[in-house]
Amino acid sequence: MEEERKPPLGQRILDNMWLLLALGLAVPTISYTLWGIIELISMGDATLP
Amino acid sequence: MSIFSPVGNWFKAPTGTERLWVGLALTWCLIMSVTMPYWHFKGKQNSTGESYKVEASAFLDRANQFIESNKVGEEKGVPIVEPSPGGDAYLVGEMWRWYPILKLKKGQTYRLHISSPDLQHGFSLLPMNMNFHILPGYDHVLTITPTSTGDFEIICNEFCGIGHHMMTGKIIVE
Repeated sequence: MEEERKPPLGQRILDNMWLLLALGLAVPTISYTLWGIIELISMGDATLP
Repeated sequence: MSIFSPVGNWFKAPTGTERLWVGLALTWCLIMSVTMPYWHFKGKQNSTGESYKVEASAFLDRANQFIESNKVGEEKGVPIVEPSPGGDAYLVGEMWRWYPILKLKKGQTYRLHISSPDLQHGFSLLPMNMNFHILPGYDHVLTITPTSTGDFEIICNEFCGIGHHMMTGKIIVE
């Protein structure tokens, strides 16, 4: 029986459900939620000229 | 995780026609992703996102002061206000009206401050289809230069209660 080769990178990523879960949470949290919170915190007060 | 995992190495990189179509789709995705930020800066109908924190009462006071000192007429009880060219103009969106009616000059640039004292509204300028969220507590500043004359209707495109459909306003450009 032929010895099985190491799985290709695409398979290793797609089979790693914890990595996918972490990415699925981290990407929107950083690019959407965190970015929005930083925008709100850094917003200045209106001068209403 | 599936009940039955595929046996062995199931991943096969796309080849031939599949590779071509995946490549085309990916290329188009990248083009669209680049176009969005490009158009945000180069397009002439986008907000730059300039906004500030503001107390609703302070914004209302300033808007009313602006109306009193620049009022040139009235239409159906709504004041018509002509800001000085190149100056600041104020627009209030509240349940369920936009006021005042602004009278602007073609080719002049204005800083239009928009806010709401009650809840979220959607500023939608017709017929050019410019849309911005208007939130209480925030002064959203749009730098605008009208390029054509006429009456431009403002509607609310964020459902804001039973009178939402009646929430209309106007910008007059001369």
